[in-house]
Amino acid sequence: MDCHNKSPEVEVGKDTLKFLLMGNPNVGKSVVFSKLTGVEVLAANYTGTTVGYTKGKVRDLKQDGILIDVPGTYGLEATSEAEEVAVNFVKEGADAIICVLDATNLERNLNFALQLKKFDIPMIFVLNLVDVAEQQGVIIDAQALEEELEAPVIPTIAVRNVGLRDLLSAMGNVEKRQKEVCYTAEKELVEEEETRWKEIGRIVEKVQTLEEREPSLTEKLGYASMQPWPGIPLAILVLALVLGFVVGGGKAIRGALLLPFVYNIYEPAMTAFIGGFITEGTVVYNVLVGDYGVLIKIIEWPFALVLPYITLFYIALSTLEDSGYLPRIGVLMDGALRKIGVQGGSIVPFIMGYGCAIPAILGSKAATTHKERVIVASLVSLAVPCTAQTAAFFVLLGDESPWMLVGVYGLSILAMILGGAVLNRMLPGKVDPMLLEIPNLLKPDVKTVLQKIKIRVKHYLVEAQIPMALGILFAAIIAETGLIHGISDFLSPVVTGWLGLPGEAGLALMLGIVRRELAVLPLLDMNLSSLQIFTGATVALFYLPCLSVLAILIKEFKLKTGLAIAATTLIGAFLIGGVINQTVRFISGIL
Amino acid sequence: MSLYAIEKEHRCIIENLPQLGLLKSLGLREGINVAIKSKQPMGGPVIVQVGRRCVAIARDIAQEIQVREVN
Repeated sequence: MDCHNKSPEVEVGKDTLKFLLMGNPNVGKSVVFSKLTGVEVLAANYTGTTVGYTKGKVRDLKQDGILIDVPGTYGLEATSEAEEVAVNFVKEGADAIICVLDATNLERNLNFALQLKKFDIPMIFVLNLVDVAEQQGVIIDAQALEEELEAPVIPTIAVRNVGLRDLLSAMGNVEKRQKEVCYTAEKELVEEEETRWKEIGRIVEKVQTLEEREPSLTEKLGYASMQPWPGIPLAILVLALVLGFVVGGGKAIRGALLLPFVYNIYEPAMTAFIGGFITEGTVVYNVLVGDYGVLIKIIEWPFALVLPYITLFYIALSTLEDSGYLPRIGVLMDGALRKIGVQGGSIVPFIMGYGCAIPAILGSKAATTHKERVIVASLVSLAVPCTAQTAAFFVLLGDESPWMLVGVYGLSILAMILGGAVLNRMLPGKVDPMLLEIPNLLKPDVKTVLQKIKIRVKHYLVEAQIPMALGILFAAIIAETGLIHGISDFLSPVVTGWLGLPGEAGLALMLGIVRRELAVLPLLDMNLSSLQIFTGATVALFYLPCLSVLAILIKEFKLKTGLAIAATTLIGAFLIGGVINQTVRFISGIL
Repeated sequence: MSLYAIEKEHRCIIENLPQLGLLKSLGLREGINVAIKSKQPMGGPVIVQVGRRCVAIARDIAQEIQVREVN
């Protein structure tokens, strides 16, 4: 029987060692991976952060070595997309498997470890989270476990670098293998199940000692947070605190620090500098430093208006992710979410969507059915504003009236409920019932959280700036050359007639294709009425996701579904925005 | 009786459960002793403690898991 009919996903050189990093979901594989390779990957304290795989070169190893971060799986029976990826990697073979075990949950982790051992590949076991286990009164004798597993067992606290040196030296002892692995284990694995659990029971009995401990404060909090009472009020409190932190903090930083800098120092200096060699009033001068001056807006919009909110949001999101709190919200919301065709676990991609839709859409891979994935991706694209757009809303609406902000977000939630209910009916297939492991509630490690925030803010600074700059340049040229009047006339039946916005708001719609916040920011300087602001914000909210999101949608769901999602958002935006405008005008006409 | 019928903070032994790979992988199998930690409103899941870890199980699945109450 041939199990090598597929060419391996990762080819390594003749003398390069190939290591697979494997284990149950949420045992810290991604943390170990980024510590060993220096490759920046985002880890979090819940199941399914790694859905594809990442590879990287191992640093500080005697030989050349490639480490592959395989998605976490509970078994090797290929019941989900992630498990299939994992099984394929094992079948391709490797020089060694590094299997990460969660010390707080040894039994279930051993179930996976013993299955892996069936494949004739040398193994190194990493016993991670020993600190948390100890706090819970679980003591594991690593040496005894080593004897049982007949392979090195290295106790670690990966987030704090404890034990990683020992792991590297164990990896240094691995030799390049010539032998190919060929093992069709699925059938045997199922048959052996009974004996395997007996074996696990025997090993655990031998290596693990439990001490009765008074539950710690975090354990008590972890328990309370999954009870409807006080869990639901607690969740509302947490979300309110996050919102207060981001909105209040962002406004303070922007108002006290960044805007004075832009308006009082940067803008006058830049204007004077450009005025030095370009005559004031010419088109070039206006494109550079006029009303839509590219040199002004390129600092004002992304850095002074958006960056503070992005940073604060990611501080909150990264902390929540690493605490293990988010899946608890999913459990509390599951009953309600099922009505819109989504199970509780998918709350995580939704929350991530408030940061950026791209990781949310990629994260929706953890959903077990295609139908659920499409629903999550559609709703995130339609109605979840990303942080950059949220920041723009805070500036546009928050300065007008906080109630408008509440109104727009209320509309967003309403659209998700209605949209989900409709998609749930329309799309064929089913949504699996919830079956989710709830992670330990942990105190996030400050260094790890800071690292995540750094990766994400850097991503915004690097990835967002080029489309942003091009968009702003485009806007400046259109606005300052008078082209805008032609475009306004062309779009006026929709923009002015139906939506009740000034003709130049067409600019926001054009720029909104590039980035979501650009559908909002141009409205700032247009002296709009309250109704116009609200309509403009509504259109922007439901409007097309940005170009990068569109690309991801097409890549993940094929062209047809991607374009269908895009078309729905476009039609939805004009429909809802127009209905609001027309209704308010009609009612105020009567009164 | 079904797992869904067990009250909060009560314990039971699993006697029979549907053939779902993930259930077994999460440590739920015949003969093990579990405790109900919480029941969610609106037809939401039950939270069951298996060993040292909690697992949320949707009502549909919990109703199909046959258990014997022990207290």
